[in-house]
Amino acid sequence: MTTTSILKATDAQEQRPAAWTRWLDLGDRPLALLLLAPATVLLALIIVYPVCRLAYTSFFNLSLTSGMPAEFVGLDNYRLMFDDPVFWETTWNTVLITLITVPGALVVGLALALMANLPFRTQWPVRLSLLIPWALPLSFAGLIFAWFFHSEYGIVNDVLIRLGFEGIIWFNSPGWAFAAICLTIIWKTSSFMALIILAGLQTIPRSLYEAADVDGAGRLRQFFEITLPLLKPSIVVALIFRTITALQTFDIPYMMTGGGPGTSTSTLAMYIHQNTVSFLDLGYGSALAVVMFALSMCVTTVYLRMIRTKE
Amino acid sequence: MASVSLRKLDKSYGALRIVKDIDLEIADGEFVVLVGPSGCGKSTTLRMVAGLESITGGEVRIGDRVVNSLPPRERDIAMVFQDYALYPHKTVRENLGFSLKVRGVGASESEARIAAAANMLGIAHLLDRRPGQLSGGQRQRVAMGRAIVRRPQVFLFDEPLSNLDAKLRGQVRTEIKKLHQALGTTIIYVTHDQVEAMTLADRIVILRGGNIEQVGTPDEVYNKPASIFVGGFVGSPAMNFARAKTAGGNLVFANGDHLALSALDAGGVSAAEGREFIVGIRPEHFVPASSSAADLSGQVQVVEPLGSDTLVHFALGDATLTARMPPQMRPRAGERLTIGLDPSKIHLFDAATERAIH
Repeated sequence: MTTTSILKATDAQEQRPAAWTRWLDLGDRPLALLLLAPATVLLALIIVYPVCRLAYTSFFNLSLTSGMPAEFVGLDNYRLMFDDPVFWETTWNTVLITLITVPGALVVGLALALMANLPFRTQWPVRLSLLIPWALPLSFAGLIFAWFFHSEYGIVNDVLIRLGFEGIIWFNSPGWAFAAICLTIIWKTSSFMALIILAGLQTIPRSLYEAADVDGAGRLRQFFEITLPLLKPSIVVALIFRTITALQTFDIPYMMTGGGPGTSTSTLAMYIHQNTVSFLDLGYGSALAVVMFALSMCVTTVYLRMIRTKE
Repeated sequence: MASVSLRKLDKSYGALRIVKDIDLEIADGEFVVLVGPSGCGKSTTLRMVAGLESITGGEVRIGDRVVNSLPPRERDIAMVFQDYALYPHKTVRENLGFSLKVRGVGASESEARIAAAANMLGIAHLLDRRPGQLSGGQRQRVAMGRAIVRRPQVFLFDEPLSNLDAKLRGQVRTEIKKLHQALGTTIIYVTHDQVEAMTLADRIVILRGGNIEQVGTPDEVYNKPASIFVGGFVGSPAMNFARAKTAGGNLVFANGDHLALSALDAGGVSAAEGREFIVGIRPEHFVPASSSAADLSGQVQVVEPLGSDTLVHFALGDATLTARMPPQMRPRAGERLTIGLDPSKIHLFDAATERAIH
């Protein structure tokens, strides 16, 4: 190319920008804000606004059954909550379910992931059997397991009796009902844990295990010295997701026990549902929901901080 | 330190035979390089010695033990992997010390060995970093350090330099050679790079398709290649090959140029009329034309000046030959070139078997 033709090409390029592209030359910062705007507006509409509205409603006495107009009551709903034994019971149940099912699902999920990562000749049946419990709707899983634990027709009692034990009337005792719910939740959620952990497992290079073989480490040592530390990021991610959904546990106890006997297996989410949807007490229900939101935020913050210090 | 011997070593995956009845004796303290193109079975052979790959047939001995059924950790070997395989969550110190910790070596002994290895490799200042914070060359050194602290009978290197840039590769190559001189441990080293093989090895094993093509010192494989494959694989630029037939006591090339058979080192070859040979000539064995009988002529195609010398590519019949000439020789493309040959440096290969004729 000669000098003149190079110059011509440059001229042509300089002339080309049409008016419609010129407004894009905003500089990096305004452009970034512009591109972020649609998502921000959307999030504001479907998350920020409802949360603010929820907090606002929680300061009102707003019950659709009373026939009275909404009345500002300040922190009355919260005061009421602190004196409400059912609030404390359902909150405690929620925390207990979280404390039992999250580590439970982690251990089972880790075991499933390790099994699924074995060199099977055909991988898809293994992957599929991991996916199915995860893909099943929660309420559906609740229904299935309600039948499994049925005192007369359930498969669990059938097995127990065949093994020489006595059948258990699962849903008549708070302890057994709680145990049945926890087992169901662990079954339902461990496949999700397994999928995330499996993805993490597959990023660990095989040569690390070969190096450890040569270095003299046995299988158990390899698991604790290589697999587990390298899985930490995947495990933290799985824990974040699982803990947040555990704090919102609703469908499975709702389908299995409806919260009974009494309110012994009722969760905070079920109590919110009861107050807002069944009793139409929107003010009190909102206050309960604000507490649950705060609880979720706390847990998320702790986990996120854990990740950040890791980095 | 120990000798290593492979006897009728065989490896198959189902019907696919990767390594075919390999016999190889490696002496105590020897530096042996397995070299060959990808898929020749060199890495598989190394991994069978390491115990990372099961053995289909034959045996591997380290020292006087048959190790066929021993797991890697009981073979008393150390290995440097192509991707280094450093534990990413452990510091350099922990990486170096891991095998010692696993084997229950005491803390003070272990610390001393780590320090010695780190000093030897110049990585003492990196001991508290993690692999992610190191450059490629530094990681490579840590991988070597991890092997050194073990004080194994045999070092195994699996293409350890292939992830480094060219300049660093040369540097680390020298360091590996120094390391061998300092430690004197038996080394089996796998590479696809013939320059690495030539510069490092006491003996080179050239593999092709699961078979050993030739075993010899770098001098032997360069000066007496056993086959066209070895001739073409060793040396850079590669050996030139041209077809020629015997006629009237001469070797006659496709373009009619000829050499007197009697002038060749391989003078004793049966020179039945019309026998076909492949003639191998190394680029560096061309000499300026001397109007002797051993001259070739052809049309210059491309000239590549390298500073220290000039590479001249020219046509001889349907073959293109490359000659390494002194830098002042600058023929032009398209010119007719007459160039001399040192008859004692010519290699003759049987056209049918492709094996060397000595």
